[in-house]
Amino acid sequence: MAKDIHEAFLRLTGFEEDEIAEYLPQWREACEKLGLTEDDVKFATEERLPAYFAVELEGIRKLLGCFVKETIDLTKANEYKERGVKIVYGILPAVLHFYYALKLTAPDEVYVSFPDIFLTLVMNGFFHKLSPYLEEVEKAGIPYGCRHCALNKTRYAARRLGIIPSPDISWIWGFICDEGPKTDEFIRIYQDPEWKTYITRLPHDQPLGTVEDEVIDRVEYLANQMRDGFESTQKEVGIKVPEEKIKEVIGIWQRYAAKLAELALLMTADPQPLGAVSGRLFWEPLFTPFNTGIEAMEKALDITIKEVEQRVAGKEGILPEGAPKLLIYSIHPSVPWIAKMFEENGVGIPLSEFFIHTKKQLTPPTFEDPYMAAAEGWLRTSGMVNPGYQAEQICEKLETHKFDGMVFGLMDFDRWLGSSHRLLTRMVEEKTGLPVFYIEGDNWDDRDYSPEALRTRIESICEIMKIRKA
Amino acid sequence: MGVKALDTLEELAQIARTRPGKLKEQKEKGVKIVGYIGRFVPEELIHASGAVPYLMCRGGEPEPPDAVIPYMLRFMSPYARSQIGYHLLGIDPVVPMLDLIVVQNSDCHESRLADLFEYFKLPAARLGVPPDWKKVLSRDYYQKRLTWLREKLEVLTGNKISDEKLKKSIESINQTRDLLSRINLLRKKQPPPIGGYDFIRLNHYSFYCDLEKLLPKLNDLYEQLQKGKSPFSREAPRILLAGHVVGMGDYVVPKLIEDSGGVVVTEFLDEGMRQCAWNVKTDGDLMRNLGETYYLSRTPPSIFQPAWEERVEIMEKLIRDFNIDGVIWYELSFEEIYDLECSIISKAMDEMNMPFLKLESSYEYSREAVGPLTTRVESFIESVKQRRS
Repeated sequence: MAKDIHEAFLRLTGFEEDEIAEYLPQWREACEKLGLTEDDVKFATEERLPAYFAVELEGIRKLLGCFVKETIDLTKANEYKERGVKIVYGILPAVLHFYYALKLTAPDEVYVSFPDIFLTLVMNGFFHKLSPYLEEVEKAGIPYGCRHCALNKTRYAARRLGIIPSPDISWIWGFICDEGPKTDEFIRIYQDPEWKTYITRLPHDQPLGTVEDEVIDRVEYLANQMRDGFESTQKEVGIKVPEEKIKEVIGIWQRYAAKLAELALLMTADPQPLGAVSGRLFWEPLFTPFNTGIEAMEKALDITIKEVEQRVAGKEGILPEGAPKLLIYSIHPSVPWIAKMFEENGVGIPLSEFFIHTKKQLTPPTFEDPYMAAAEGWLRTSGMVNPGYQAEQICEKLETHKFDGMVFGLMDFDRWLGSSHRLLTRMVEEKTGLPVFYIEGDNWDDRDYSPEALRTRIESICEIMKIRKA
Repeated sequence: MGVKALDTLEELAQIARTRPGKLKEQKEKGVKIVGYIGRFVPEELIHASGAVPYLMCRGGEPEPPDAVIPYMLRFMSPYARSQIGYHLLGIDPVVPMLDLIVVQNSDCHESRLADLFEYFKLPAARLGVPPDWKKVLSRDYYQKRLTWLREKLEVLTGNKISDEKLKKSIESINQTRDLLSRINLLRKKQPPPIGGYDFIRLNHYSFYCDLEKLLPKLNDLYEQLQKGKSPFSREAPRILLAGHVVGMGDYVVPKLIEDSGGVVVTEFLDEGMRQCAWNVKTDGDLMRNLGETYYLSRTPPSIFQPAWEERVEIMEKLIRDFNIDGVIWYELSFEEIYDLECSIISKAMDEMNMPFLKLESSYEYSREAVGPLTTRVESFIESVKQRRS
């Protein structure tokens, strides 16, 4: 069984026959490091992935494969470090241009990763086995009761369990997170004195409704923080990134983002052609650097777009035509049953708000300087700014994509992004008159929120939506 | 504490209790009332503008934080939620009369609180405080925000904050800090003439009393405490109370410690206390002096980064200076940064062989909740006592 199940897993996740021979031993080794048993791989292959991902589509299989390759790569980070490759980490949310630019400048000299996000997406999303990581740190300084973020716990666990090495620099963005940067300080003091961190922060002191990307002092301050952080990172790893590399990355990113916009448009077709979880992972390269690059992801995206176009042309959907559709703040494949439960109850949640753009976001930056442009882009992003401006942007997205309502919440762990959701629920409902819902829960860690615990809430939301739409 | 000192403390308590009425009178006379939240808001500036400062730091009751849940994530600090919760319940006499509410924005709890003030159309002003305090960029940011606040206060009151006025204001508040510092240092004695329950309340009252009345009272209290008899036994274990904040009204834990036979002889709290060991210089550029003292000189709060190693060192010094027998960490529910720091402190205390107790509160002090809390505190004090003997 052993050989078959690992092979079957790689085949299901889009590996070509000739690749399987190359990757099989690496995958086995990765499993060992990650604590995955054959039963876990069997569960993923036979139950978890087919249940939540459209594995009948080649593009989706290839997409999953990209995550598997990146995970294998992650488990080699210790070897990279031993070979003298510089290790650079970061956390969500961050502007990826800088991390990608480092990689593009010196591909063999640097390893870039946001290790927690990959481990969380893969260990929970594919195998539903993040708990051992979380439990490991809950008995070692990050208690369960305080609702700490699963990502921060996973980053600490990965180091504690020796899966990842100490970074040469962990450039931590605290623009919209307090716990992330402080977790790095925690890891360094409590666990690993070699865990070196550089932080960039931004106070959230703009009044509700301020259009933050138009406050020049704020854009400048943020740009200076980014410049300062990136210069310190480059100095730390001894790699000088020319500005043209940042511009090159922006070009790649824009090309990929344009394709994502195509997919987003397809996802909102009636009937909805693809489940929310299946499409969602394509957005990850906009938020998380892939040390293995995004070329394979882009190919998977191209294939998926063609396959979904065929479904749209054939009026083939996962829901009946005319089904209500809700915009959701963010759906995470690490807890895939949430999206599925909406779909099983006849309501689509095809897109995450966090991942679609306003018209302003799609306009070219006002500034030539890459740091000013990045800062402006950041402050045009709904989740990064004050809830008043955020609500305005969300209303625009609801209108553009003709959603029937919206769902906030499932971010209990996040005292920045999640803490304003109840207020946003009110603000968006007041502005649009659409039904807006709030669900208490955790998108990363479903130990406390079993399907049965959320079923009543989701079913009642779906009933309301169907009655309104009828 | 002697009878006279008790009387003085009670007089100050009475002034604090009747503060809303006084504020109303002043407001009717056209004086602006400025509420403020957080240790990074210099009350010197508010005084110098001719407005009356009002520190918002209430806590200790479960209903006000619960009143905020329809508008905010449940898993947020009950202290932050309390600052608007009383108002949402309609039982805050001061918030409706405030002309400005200055909220420091150093973390998510404070920023979300400011969001709510604005959502409810209250006159909020945010003072950005970057937590990456070792950078010149961040220091300049805070300094600029102080200038912004100064201008805002000038517009509000119609009074120019001259250097002369600011200097006078700084001097008065320096005197307040000096007196509190002298009272605090009396607690190095064994047994101390005043415990933490009273000293924390004294700090709170000092924010709600006009300075011209406060200074002589503090002076009297210092004299009385010097001469008076300690209410504590010589055997009482000496406790350091640490954490984020003991809010105004949230006195269950310090009182319980002292009712259980211990005595709180020093505090390591980020908010709600006057940082009396650091005065603001009165020569040179006064605004810069304010910025340096408030942002750079004082103990960095837990949210600052890096901070925890320095904070452990400061705690270790307090333990030595105040001859501490045990440390009690008072944590408010869902304050994630303090929860992480607790593990760091706990480890450091373990390495020092210093008894350590973590208490967590969501301001739920019903009889059912206080029972187990009492047992824990009593057992801790008892174990520290036995260790000492």
